[in-house]
Amino acid sequence: MKLHSVRYLTGEGCKNIWVNRLMTIASVGVLTACMVLIGLALLISMNVDKIIGNLEQQNVVMVYFNDKNSVLYGDADPILAEGETFDPEKIADSHYLIHNVDEAKAVCEEIAKLDNVASVEFISKEDALEAVKSTMLEGQDEYFEFLDEENGNPLSDGARVHLEDMGVFNATVAKIKTVSGVNNIQSQGDMAEKINSIKNGIGVAGVWIIAILLVISLVIVSNTIRVTMYNRKLQISIMKAVGATDAFIRIPFIVEGVLIGLISAVIAEGVVYFCYRVATETIISSLDANQVIPFADAAFMLLGVFAAIGVFAGIFGSAIMIGKYLKKEGSEFSAI
Amino acid sequence: MDFEMQNQEKPIIEFNGVSKNYTNDTHALSDVNIKINRGEFVFVVGSSGAGKSTFMKLIMREEKANTGTIIVNNFNLTKMRRKQVPKLRRTMGIVFQDFRLIPTMNVFDNVAFAMHVVGEPKKKIRKEVARVLSLVGLGHKARSMPNQLSGGEQQRVGLARALVNNPDLIIADEPTGNVDPNMSYEIVSLLSAINRQGTTILMVTHDHNLVRDFRHRVIMLDGGRIVADNAGGLE
Repeated sequence: MKLHSVRYLTGEGCKNIWVNRLMTIASVGVLTACMVLIGLALLISMNVDKIIGNLEQQNVVMVYFNDKNSVLYGDADPILAEGETFDPEKIADSHYLIHNVDEAKAVCEEIAKLDNVASVEFISKEDALEAVKSTMLEGQDEYFEFLDEENGNPLSDGARVHLEDMGVFNATVAKIKTVSGVNNIQSQGDMAEKINSIKNGIGVAGVWIIAILLVISLVIVSNTIRVTMYNRKLQISIMKAVGATDAFIRIPFIVEGVLIGLISAVIAEGVVYFCYRVATETIISSLDANQVIPFADAAFMLLGVFAAIGVFAGIFGSAIMIGKYLKKEGSEFSAI
Repeated sequence: MDFEMQNQEKPIIEFNGVSKNYTNDTHALSDVNIKINRGEFVFVVGSSGAGKSTFMKLIMREEKANTGTIIVNNFNLTKMRRKQVPKLRRTMGIVFQDFRLIPTMNVFDNVAFAMHVVGEPKKKIRKEVARVLSLVGLGHKARSMPNQLSGGEQQRVGLARALVNNPDLIIADEPTGNVDPNMSYEIVSLLSAINRQGTTILMVTHDHNLVRDFRHRVIMLDGGRIVADNAGGLE
């Protein structure tokens, strides 16, 4: 096809947008409505994901080391030679694994190397004691003042470990337990499982909702195109009668379909922005602002999704529907 | 004798033993044999259901014959693939009874449209469209929309569209069916003038007065068969 023909056909497609403006408005309206629904479903899904992600970030396990205090005051069993009996008064270095801060930090480094571990923060027993005191009501911390270095701090050294994915929470905890020097772990495994199942459930529901909306959009768009084609049967029959090739007939319709898709994408972006702003200002005002995804963060992604839906619907809708008319012979001469 | 001359001697339309049946057992055409030479003006007449429309549809390759061979402008229509049909149609101009103008395009664009289809450049389109519009007497109405024209004017636009690519053959399906008698004479006069310049004209009509007055070859169809073929027209 010659370049000036392509230019002419593209121009015709653009012109048809205005010439058939009633059908254009109907098509844009239908497509925009579908895109808005898909966009809102996407934003809701993204926000739920973020809120759950926030919960995930708070998901921390406390790891306590096998040190002197864990044997003396905690639940750690002393390491004994064969036939040896344990006397707490005579506790020796060989009865536990972690003897100083350097060894404790080395265990932290080992844990940090494990998969799914986001970060490891060493908590000395002194810091742990301060933390316990800080949670006391005013004046109550005085009861713990005797627990200083001289009288002995009964807490163990430990580490605060942040995990990345809750889906493999239990497996990660089991791996941490195998690291030499670790005595025990405090975690909320049940909570992790619940959050994980909620997240998976929402993910699956989101995919289904968006998939169903996409199918509905395609059905509605193809029906709208069918009505448009019916109205243009005369034009198609004249084109065929004067010797137009199938491509020549198709191109203006496809250009028109793509333009309608892109116009709908821009309008849908505006409508979704407005709806999202109203929703975030009113319904979600009680929540922490950081828990809501700013529209700007999703704007380009949404525009991309809308444009892709629009272009896809425009090209395939036009091409498939017009194909039916092109293959049907015998409409050029007889009454339409 | 060169190829061009051989070409001139061959009939532009040739039907050999052509039959066309529709799926509902209607025998639209039965064993039709006919030759139409280049430069002829032929009227096709017959009552409703005689097979006129099928005859025209077969020439345009809008329908396929069940038996027999059809050659139009050196294209063998019986062997022709769907993809080649546009090439055939570009060698002919078609005039419809109901004008078939695109209502959203003005007169100029309706005529130019046929040239865009064959990929002509803009400059040539401007020149040729202006030429054929003045030929049919509508040079001053180039910017008018179809609904602003009378029936006769609309048909002349249809004629201009059929002429603009300088086709070898013009097929006119009752071009005077929707216009008044005076305009009918004008349109056939115009077609006759075009014919005198060498273009073959095949015109279906019900109007016996026109056929009698213009005295061109007449093919009469009845029940799907050719019942008369008078080179000198109707008496």
